Amino acid sequence: MILLRITRSNAMILLVSITVALSAVVAFPAISEAQSEEKTFVTHSGAVVTTSGEVIDPLYTESTVDFDPDEFLRNFEYGRISTSETGQTIREYTIIAEDDGVQEISPGVFYNVWTFNGTVPGPTIRATEGDIVRINFINNGSKEHTIHFHGIHPAGMDGVFEPVGGNGGQFVYEFEAGPVGVHPYHCHVMPLEEHIVHGLYGVFIVDPKEGRAPADEMVMVLNGLDTDFDTENNFYAANTIPFYYQHHPIQINTNELIRIYVVNMVEFDPINNFHLHGNLYKYYPTGTDIVPSFYTDMITLSQTERGIMEFEYEYPGKYLFHAHKVEFSEKGWVGIFLVKDNPNNSQELEYGT
Amino acid sequence: MELSDNTSKGKVIASGIIPFAFVIIMMAYIFGPGADLLDLGIPLPEITIEKVDFVDSEIQATVRNTGPIPVEVVMADVNDRIHPAAVEPDGFLERYETALVRIPFDWNEAEPYIIGITVDDGTRFEKEIEAAAPALQPTLDLAVFFAIIGTYVGIIPVMIGLLWLPFIKKISKSKYHFFLALTAGLLLFLALDSIEEAIEVSDESLAGSFNGALLVATVVVLSFLGLYYSGEKLVQRASSSKFAKPVAIALMISIGIGLHNFGEGLAIGAAVGMGSIAFSTFLIVGFALHNTTEGIAIAAPMSRGKLMIGKLAAMGMIAGSPAIFGAWIGGFVYSPFTSVIFLGIGAGAIFQVIVILMKWLREEGDKNLSSASVASGFAVGMLVMYLTSIFV
Repeated sequence: MILLRITRSNAMILLVSITVALSAVVAFPAISEAQSEEKTFVTHSGAVVTTSGEVIDPLYTESTVDFDPDEFLRNFEYGRISTSETGQTIREYTIIAEDDGVQEISPGVFYNVWTFNGTVPGPTIRATEGDIVRINFINNGSKEHTIHFHGIHPAGMDGVFEPVGGNGGQFVYEFEAGPVGVHPYHCHVMPLEEHIVHGLYGVFIVDPKEGRAPADEMVMVLNGLDTDFDTENNFYAANTIPFYYQHHPIQINTNELIRIYVVNMVEFDPINNFHLHGNLYKYYPTGTDIVPSFYTDMITLSQTERGIMEFEYEYPGKYLFHAHKVEFSEKGWVGIFLVKDNPNNSQELEYGT
Repeated sequence: MELSDNTSKGKVIASGIIPFAFVIIMMAYIFGPGADLLDLGIPLPEITIEKVDFVDSEIQATVRNTGPIPVEVVMADVNDRIHPAAVEPDGFLERYETALVRIPFDWNEAEPYIIGITVDDGTRFEKEIEAAAPALQPTLDLAVFFAIIGTYVGIIPVMIGLLWLPFIKKISKSKYHFFLALTAGLLLFLALDSIEEAIEVSDESLAGSFNGALLVATVVVLSFLGLYYSGEKLVQRASSSKFAKPVAIALMISIGIGLHNFGEGLAIGAAVGMGSIAFSTFLIVGFALHNTTEGIAIAAPMSRGKLMIGKLAAMGMIAGSPAIFGAWIGGFVYSPFTSVIFLGIGAGAIFQVIVILMKWLREEGDKNLSSASVASGFAVGMLVMYLTSIFV
């Protein structure tokens, strides 16, 4: 047995070292290897900031995304076309539902999306009024899913009372396309909110038989993503990816008719809206009429409310379009039209001749 | 003889190690490759925003991964509005690792802000700041300012309290016991106060994974034991010369009070740092009043020895000056974790002092701790502290 003789100074040293050791153990802010390379980024107000660390910015630069809003914007699916015995055009589609995908929906943010044909929104289905639309629906998800089209069709084609079982369940939806306009389609299995907000929706366009004026046409699904399941959207966007069209402006031409099919699929928030800068648009609610109801730069949309917008830009340059519910735009529902001089202008603009 | 001694020693060592070996084997079995026994449930990410600083056109949040799995910090927002930001040194955080998120933002002074950080699975964590105030820069002026405040709060009141010494010196034995017990009461209040503060800080700013209350309890007990052990040695040595024992006890008291005042300094510095100036003015006045009573605590045991003004002043400094260091640390490099630890150490130190005081009282008071003077002294001590604490 050895007795440690503790002198007064030893006692003090012990005391001090206990204190120091405890605080050192405590204040161990673990710091990982610093990266020496300086990076810069631009803030929303235009300031340039330098950092030795990583930039976290919803600026979408990934090239490996599963979903490309640029491609979706002007993509219309007309289906496999055949003619029935009575001479009607038949448009046949195959739509596959899945619910186990995880996609990077904003840089670094991974979210379990439920998809029609692998994307949120699903494919934009386009037919002419009176066509037969035939959807071969395959449910490869683990849960029951359906497709419920807005529009006119028999009760049995409504996608509500005929849930399609997962792991390969099938159903064929068949109906005559109508009425003319732009409509949403979505899964209608309970709990409905869950099935919608995970991404099971898309756009269904019915063209009038006489067609519409030629235009640069695009689809914008206004949607939100609740990535932490607190029944509040963490992100908003036109076509799913927040801030995408802000960093990748949509290129259009001056004096060219632009037609946007807009569908609001935002859940949780009662309304959404669409404001266009430097211009006004003719608005056709639901697209069912050929005469516009409004000439405005601001419309308000409730759940699944939709319509067609038509406008032309006279002056070239950059123009914002965004939700004027600014919270939504600051969470991603904001974009830019980059208007360029129309190469055909000289021929078209021959006033007074 | 020697051989059997060695073998028995070997047996002892082996019997000590064998259980450990089994623990290791069990761990390897549970966590080792191919073991999916405990592979159930989904671990959820968790980060804690421990600190938010408002600097020039920028909000800086210190985040710590306090969950069971590594996370990637991917997005920052201010008031639930997304902003481009930088994360230094990088966004990937192992368990308990910290990073600094810099959000360029033209904030307005005195306005409330909610800072949100989103991790890779889309979960958002937030921290609310009641009023934005510019982060304190460690300038000389400010350091001097804190030193002055620390002096007002720590040193001067304690010195004033020491002026009661001549009074305590002249009173009867039972009245003296009353004052010793009063000291114990004062100290008990301070210890409880420190613990409450530590738990409050850990609730507010530390993640659940730190087990706030248990962390405080552990630190309090460790600090108590460490000081108790070294304190006993100090008193043992001191008792060889007759008058030094009160000095040793007074020294212990000053150290305990010093650690406590360090915590008070932290609170003041942090309050100034967080911009609650009005609040910190109250703190300063309250602590100053409150700390006058601490001088009595030091004076009481010293009153029976020879009057040693030098030693007394030194003890006043030991008890009071840590408030200055606390204010510096609280104002310039505040970390909730460190605060909790220091508050815990302070509480443990005070408990140790109380035990020593009670022991001494028992010896002095003919093995009687239930005399009227002791009981009333203790009660009055608690009451006085409670009443002066209302000013804080």
